[in-house]
Amino acid sequence: MHQFIVRRCLYSLVTIFILSLTIFTVVRLTGDPALLMAEPGARPEDLERVRMQWGLDRPWPMQYLSFMQNVITGELGKSFNYRLPVSELYLQRLPNSLQLALAATLISILVGVPAGILSAVRVNTWWDYVGTVIALLGLSIPGFWLGLVLILVFSVWLEWLPTSGTGDWRHLMMPAVALGWYFAASLLRLSRSSMLEVLRSDYIKLARLKGVPEFVVIGMHGFKNALIPVLTLAGVNLVVMVNAAVIIEVIFAWPGIGRLLYEGIFQRDFPLVQGVVVMAGFMIVGVNLLVDILYAYIDPRIRLTK
Amino acid sequence: MRAIIPLLQMTMLLVVLAVTPAAGGTSTPSPAPQKVVPKGKMVLAWHVNIASRWLDPQEHDGTASPDNFTTALHDALIKNNRETLYDHPALAERYEFAKDAKSATFWLRPGITFHNGEPVTPADVKFTFENYRGAKADVLKGKTERVEIVDDRTIRFVFKEPFLDFPLIFGTANVSGAGWVVPAKYYQQVGPDGYKQKPIGAGPYKLVRQEPGTKLEMEAFEGYYRPVHVKQFVMVGVPEAATRVAMLERGEADIIYLVPGELIERVQKNRKLMLAPVLSGSWWLDFPGFQDPKSPFRDKRVREAVSLVIDREAMNEAEAGGMGRISGNWINNDVQYALEWPAFKRNVERAKQLMQEAGYPNGFTVDWVTPVPAYYSRGERIIAQLQEIGIRARLQVMERGVFLQRLQGGLKEWPGVQIILNGSRIGGSWANWYEAFFKCGGFSSRDRICVQEVDAKFARYEASIDPEERERLAKEIQREILENYYFVPVFRHAFVNAIGPKIAAQTWQEIFPTITTGYAFPWEDIKLKE
Repeated sequence: MHQFIVRRCLYSLVTIFILSLTIFTVVRLTGDPALLMAEPGARPEDLERVRMQWGLDRPWPMQYLSFMQNVITGELGKSFNYRLPVSELYLQRLPNSLQLALAATLISILVGVPAGILSAVRVNTWWDYVGTVIALLGLSIPGFWLGLVLILVFSVWLEWLPTSGTGDWRHLMMPAVALGWYFAASLLRLSRSSMLEVLRSDYIKLARLKGVPEFVVIGMHGFKNALIPVLTLAGVNLVVMVNAAVIIEVIFAWPGIGRLLYEGIFQRDFPLVQGVVVMAGFMIVGVNLLVDILYAYIDPRIRLTK
Repeated sequence: MRAIIPLLQMTMLLVVLAVTPAAGGTSTPSPAPQKVVPKGKMVLAWHVNIASRWLDPQEHDGTASPDNFTTALHDALIKNNRETLYDHPALAERYEFAKDAKSATFWLRPGITFHNGEPVTPADVKFTFENYRGAKADVLKGKTERVEIVDDRTIRFVFKEPFLDFPLIFGTANVSGAGWVVPAKYYQQVGPDGYKQKPIGAGPYKLVRQEPGTKLEMEAFEGYYRPVHVKQFVMVGVPEAATRVAMLERGEADIIYLVPGELIERVQKNRKLMLAPVLSGSWWLDFPGFQDPKSPFRDKRVREAVSLVIDREAMNEAEAGGMGRISGNWINNDVQYALEWPAFKRNVERAKQLMQEAGYPNGFTVDWVTPVPAYYSRGERIIAQLQEIGIRARLQVMERGVFLQRLQGGLKEWPGVQIILNGSRIGGSWANWYEAFFKCGGFSSRDRICVQEVDAKFARYEASIDPEERERLAKEIQREILENYYFVPVFRHAFVNAIGPKIAAQTWQEIFPTITTGYAFPWEDIKLKE
């Protein structure tokens, strides 16, 4: 087990290294940020001054080393645009993103899991067809469109909810639904297929043969086992929602991490983009590592596989 | 009515220019303030994210965006205000510009303070100027010999040579931030980065709280020398246009900026809301390297044919809901010495005839038409119109930063036969436009356009300290550019904003009264309905 954990940690470090190198290179391919930082009439020497001030005149390997040093110290560099440490900006926005992601995850679980289970239990009936349609709509309706429709209906026409920004639960409702909708659909599909697989297994057949009531078969034996991959996906979805709700956060003017990333991209704010992406990488790799370790703990076959 | 407004603005501008002393003048003090108790809350939905650097006039980037924030948090010695281009007395109750244009003296208002209660002193003005590192810093500092503190309310700028444009550069908010006074002691204490987080100024509103990038919460500064009417003022960054409009409809925002074409009708139909189509930047066609013997645009007849085939009315209708303006000049008419020029007419038959005379009866191929990002639909319209005289072209799209980089890279970045659909809004003087976009070696024109005889006239303009001669040369140069079709003006677009029902205003011009910025201003004058 110990060896397994060490090996997985090393894989995670390699993943983070490749991610950091990729994002470092990709942001630099977008062009020279000095042009956006200097005044429009800047002369070549002014641009050079800006590059020197921000260390952009140094060779890329040196810049990369500085970036990694900043990652290790936890500061993540200083934003070109805000003149603040990226970690400070990130931590300022993190509670908003967590709030939104948790609400969206809750909605996606509350909608996706029961609908998926119902579709599986009532397979090939109209319950199942309704579930399939919901899944199809959830996966195909773009979040930005759904967000705008929600604003139009619930804010402008019905005047029930505020259009945007943060505040109480009413501010959270529409962005959480718009964000959670897609994930609800994916959970629905996974719950359905997982439940169908469980319901076809031998121990369920045995339970039925023994005359165990149907609600106990489904609720106690089927549901619990079908839920394992579903909750794993929900956990990964949560991390994705925290870090990548760019469009929803822009539409609802929600001051979260996704919007911070959007701002960074538009301003060619290299440290900001790098910092946000690396933090997202840490979270996703961290969650996956945790899941791997938990699986290995539960199922010895995993840790013994080379 | 739409046609009358620009005329009225122009008339007011001419009156202002006529009475504004270019040199050797003094300004008159403003009237004493009335006692007003600020009340209520006003929300502005800003159309992009809010960059903290816009809160520090010391790093003014020479564009229009910082205006919206500096005019709320800060104040200048002299400034553009309503129809006054640059010398409205603000923190300075009066100023005197020497007849030889070699010095300018400012007298501060008595009893003015910053938001932290510290008095605004000549030492703060001196620090502000000397520490300034934004747009035009090199010009201002290069021509200034010294800044003298005369007494506790008087400060004098002494120039190395006659510096006729000093008040214009110093006093125009979207040109330079050198005159927008910051508290020296506080600025040095917190440093430039700390200042951007908690800026203290002498403007009508003081910052209470900032959420970097997304929100500014401000409160009326009761120590301001003019009455401030609204107590709480919130600026919130809302990048999505449909959300901004919904906020206005719901009453969550009172003023919103930038209503795009597809949402204009929706706002127009809502009787509670008011559209505010502020005339903004001018758009024109630029032919990089047209002097090359191989370029078809070397022939004036071809450039004229291009001008004749452009359907400016259609462009204005489609791109600005008809609320822009078909102007004859590529330079906005709200800057000093801008030339009024009749709008160019569309005449496709004459254009075809000119193409034939120039030896292109079947037209030719243009490698790329490149509009300023992200106004691609405008480029597409130009391409469609050029086809009427056989000019075939493709649209080139690129990211804004890349576009700026290529403009600064000069002619080598625009090989072959190319057309740039350029657009800009620059304040102050016509010369700022010329220097940026036409002058050989200019920061945006580089070597794309080099007409030596015109540049020689511009050098004479710069050297002259005689206002009459300068005006004559300015107009001569502009005429020459237009008569030769070196640039082909297209239209002046409208920056369409909207006002909600809480704001006390009969017409949108009460909230956007100025011809010198596209934003609502002056903030202290805006009132809420009872």
